[in-house]
Amino acid sequence: MPVNVALGHVSNACLIAALVIYSLSVVAFAGDFAFGRPRRAAAARAEQAQDRAAALAAVGAASSTAAAPARPEAAKAAAVPGAPPDVPAGGADSMPELAVPLPRAIAEAGRWVQTALALSLAGVLAHTAAVITRGLAVHRAPWGNMYEFVTALTCVAAIFFLFVMIRYRAWSLGVFVMGAVVVTLGLAETLIYTAAGELVPALQSYWLDIHVTAMTLATGIFFVAAVLGFVYLWVDRYAKRVAAGRAAPGNGIIRRLPSIEQLDRLTYRTIVFGFPVWTFGVIAGAIWADQAWGRYWGWDPVETWAFITWVLYAAFLHARATAGWRGRRAHYIQLLGFTSLIVNILVVQVFIAGLHSYAGVS
Amino acid sequence: MLSPVLRAPWLRAPWLRARRRTVVLAAAVLAGVLLAGVLLAGWAGGGNSGVTDVDGNASAVIYQAGHRPLAPDFTAATLTGAKLSFSSYRGKVVVLNFWGSWCVPCREEASTLSYVAAQYQPSGVSFLGVDVRDTVASAKAFANRFHITYPSVSDPSSVVTLDFTAVVPIAGTPTTLVIDRTGHIAGAVFGTATYPELTAILAKVTGKAGG
Amino acid sequence: MTDVRAPETDPFDPAAEPDDQSRPGPASPGRGTFGAADWLKWVWRQLTSMRIALVLLFLLALGSVPGSMLPQQGTNPAGVQQYDTSHPALAPWLSRLGLFNVFGAPWFAAIYLLLFASLVGCVVPRTFRLAGSARTLPPRAPRNLARLPRSAEYATALPPAEAVEVAARVLSGHGFRLRRPVEPADPADGGHWVSAEKGYLREAGNLLFHLALLGVLVSVALGGLFGYKADRLLVQGDTFADTASALDEFYPGRFVTAADLGPFTITLNKFDASYISSGQQRGQPSAFDAQISYTEQPGGPTRAGQLEVNRPLSVDGAKVYLIGHGYAPEFRVTDARGQVVYNAATPFISGTTGNFLSEGVVKVPDAQPEQLGFTGVFVPTAVDVGGTLESVFPAADNPVVSLIAYAGNLGMNTGPSQSVYQLDTSGMQRLTANPQVLLPGQSLKLPGGRGTITFTGYVPWVSLAITHDPGQLPALICGIVALGGLLLSFMIRRRRVFVRARSGGHGTVVQVGGLARTDASGGFEAEFAILAAELRSAHEQAGAHQPAAHQPQEGE
Repeated sequence: MPVNVALGHVSNACLIAALVIYSLSVVAFAGDFAFGRPRRAAAARAEQAQDRAAALAAVGAASSTAAAPARPEAAKAAAVPGAPPDVPAGGADSMPELAVPLPRAIAEAGRWVQTALALSLAGVLAHTAAVITRGLAVHRAPWGNMYEFVTALTCVAAIFFLFVMIRYRAWSLGVFVMGAVVVTLGLAETLIYTAAGELVPALQSYWLDIHVTAMTLATGIFFVAAVLGFVYLWVDRYAKRVAAGRAAPGNGIIRRLPSIEQLDRLTYRTIVFGFPVWTFGVIAGAIWADQAWGRYWGWDPVETWAFITWVLYAAFLHARATAGWRGRRAHYIQLLGFTSLIVNILVVQVFIAGLHSYAGVS
Repeated sequence: MLSPVLRAPWLRAPWLRARRRTVVLAAAVLAGVLLAGVLLAGWAGGGNSGVTDVDGNASAVIYQAGHRPLAPDFTAATLTGAKLSFSSYRGKVVVLNFWGSWCVPCREEASTLSYVAAQYQPSGVSFLGVDVRDTVASAKAFANRFHITYPSVSDPSSVVTLDFTAVVPIAGTPTTLVIDRTGHIAGAVFGTATYPELTAILAKVTGKAGG
Repeated sequence: MTDVRAPETDPFDPAAEPDDQSRPGPASPGRGTFGAADWLKWVWRQLTSMRIALVLLFLLALGSVPGSMLPQQGTNPAGVQQYDTSHPALAPWLSRLGLFNVFGAPWFAAIYLLLFASLVGCVVPRTFRLAGSARTLPPRAPRNLARLPRSAEYATALPPAEAVEVAARVLSGHGFRLRRPVEPADPADGGHWVSAEKGYLREAGNLLFHLALLGVLVSVALGGLFGYKADRLLVQGDTFADTASALDEFYPGRFVTAADLGPFTITLNKFDASYISSGQQRGQPSAFDAQISYTEQPGGPTRAGQLEVNRPLSVDGAKVYLIGHGYAPEFRVTDARGQVVYNAATPFISGTTGNFLSEGVVKVPDAQPEQLGFTGVFVPTAVDVGGTLESVFPAADNPVVSLIAYAGNLGMNTGPSQSVYQLDTSGMQRLTANPQVLLPGQSLKLPGGRGTITFTGYVPWVSLAITHDPGQLPALICGIVALGGLLLSFMIRRRRVFVRARSGGHGTVVQVGGLARTDASGGFEAEFAILAAELRSAHEQAGAHQPAAHQPQEGE
């Protein structure tokens, strides 16, 4: 079936629109940092941070074990008795912001966040429209080459992140994740743009839809986890420097970010969401490989790197259950896993000849 | 939910409880050793042990009377185009040689076969070639070159080879089978046939040495 | 890892999961000797620790990297040879380290075997532990439920015993396992309470996942032992029977013999490939299909079939895949005596230049008086670009063959077997100074009256892969089970809910408390809120019946 060029142009236009709108939303998120309303529980948390810093200083802050997420007892101790009534004196399992219903939370978040949220939603709509029209233009699932894959995965990442941000009221993370989405989309548009076209016969199979869809979803989710991981590392480094006395507490930006535990937990939950999807994608890929090439696993370079990525994320999950490996080290592992994912997409599929080379990049 | 299943009385046996750690250890080690064995055997076995043709490494086999597989019948076209039915050879000792003009070991043994064919002809031994994966033009040129006077049938699709592989393990070319007067396969050379091997088998089957 | 020697410790208590903070070393103060058995135990403890599992996982990932960067012997032997020639100093060292066959190398096997040993060593005790904990009851309800991470408190008209009864029914209805105080109620125990626990499937899912991974490994080994892979190139119009000597490559598993090959035959009747003829994707293939007919055993009925990429043929327990295709130009060679000594379609292999520019070789070992050999290039759609022939489109729109002729000794009469795609010209003399270009139907007369070669036409060929893998289905099932176990272990939380009821004020004060494992994936807050609300409304409903029972008493 011939490619619908007009729809292809519509898709491109929607994508450019999404890029512009996302960029504006990033500006709005950043504006919230600079000019926005102080956070509701920020006062309580600032005191928590000081208590924790004091506790760290007492036991010797250099030990990474001590900097691991606080035990339930410690968190309870830090809960200030005079905190606002809807901040429960809960343990490590609670996220205070959830106690506030959504409409009120958005109203209280301030106009910058509201603008940014609206822009992000509009951007996601444009982005999704771009992906869908591309699919309609080429009469197949719109992830058949690297450009389409990156567009789709950033769309997944944006949608997933919006869901996470709204659910956990984590407005301050918007600038990082949407910013990463903007950068990635921009690079995709400029460097690896491919016009809408047909697929080589090796890819004409319904397993394409299943396998690559799963990989796209998982990559989008891991993308969000990676950005959160970077934020975690930044906040963690800052907390250590404060404890060591090398930085003043109360940094304006960091104060508005979620706490270390919350960042850690958000990242963990994101990866827990993405890991089964990646596993399913690998299995679906094996089924497709068997149909197309006669064997379900042949250590093709792309298969090998998908395996490496899987092993590294599995290592992350194991690290979280190992003393001395929680916290910073676990996030290094997680970021290493995402790096291997990127290497798989950008380096292995393009430069290393194998059965998988389908990049469509000239 | 699992409790009824897991409340099995044997789990509470005293000897098990007392040595639970040892039992667990032993079970795990045993499982590991078994697994390792299975894996290493599988890994070592798969992989690059490609078997195409046996390159000069012949192995000659003689089947004792009573253990001789029956040679399947076949009908095929000879190089001249005539139809040949293998059953017409019943009652004679036949040397059936699977060859191809493209096959280096077949070219090596060609003169030996030609010589032995001439040597054993007075004893009533017939030679028949099965030309595998080849064309008539190349086969005729080969026969010309090596002065092969006995006939060959064309087996471009290897169906005849397939039939014979069901009874003897033909792994490649060349393969030479010696079929006795009752139509049973009495001996085989897998690989390049050498004069001593071929004559030894023929001597056994015909009961005569040296034709 | 959990310690089997102390099965009574509470899995919820973080202190009971030392997470190998304390892995006692071999030296124990006060012991005189430290024997081999103790060393073995120490090694085993280390092997089954999470830390070592982490290290092994890293090694596994790291070890796979060279397997993807360097050409591997199993999939790309030509590439290995190329690497050998281009890196003469480095290649032998890499070969010694097994880096050209990483995934079959002993050191790689050691990594995953150790990892699985560690896995088994962890999973087996944990299975016992799960069995044990599935038999033990939840702990007693703590005295002050308000100190738990989640708690709620409200009043009800029901007497405490009944309140607890109602609560127990509600919790039981949600699938919790209950523990009640031993009768009669002990006031020192704090009155009436019920403990409830749920989520044992989480650990079961976790163990299932790890065991299923083990199952995948065993399935892969099964396939390696009892399966095989084979390749065959088939020219259009030809038939092949599935027997070892008819296969181009045959890789049997350890326990597979040639007799295990299914006795099918396949004929390639027609092969068609279509390519995109215009636009940006000109030259890209858009479809190929192979019309075949096959019989499952000799003498059986002939069936028609179609082989396409992604659609293999299943026959006799094996699967036949269409892997690739190419062109086989047909040549007829007459020798010096005028005899036709060669008349066949010769498969040419397309290289990396694209658009199916293919190279091949014609060997005529029985030409007389001298053996003849030709190296050729087949150009499907030939265009002369500054003196060189290039192919600009993969379909055979303007087929042309360019030949270089040789005469002499092909090296085929003795010695090692030769590849049909390569010509050894060391014993041969080149007959033509320049490559000679032939259109279909044209002939090249060889100098010295040695003969003629005619390019008579061309036909397509396909390459087929024939595979049999008995471990394939078990591996898939284990993979799905692993995914199921993974989802179970991520979605289910181990959690406990306690309800206490004591008389106080007007009626009974009911306290509800709950906690979940701290590394749970969340959502317990919502579940607890719903449970608490449900308990409350259950108590209200039951309490609504109570005053009616009391009124007659008051009236008297």
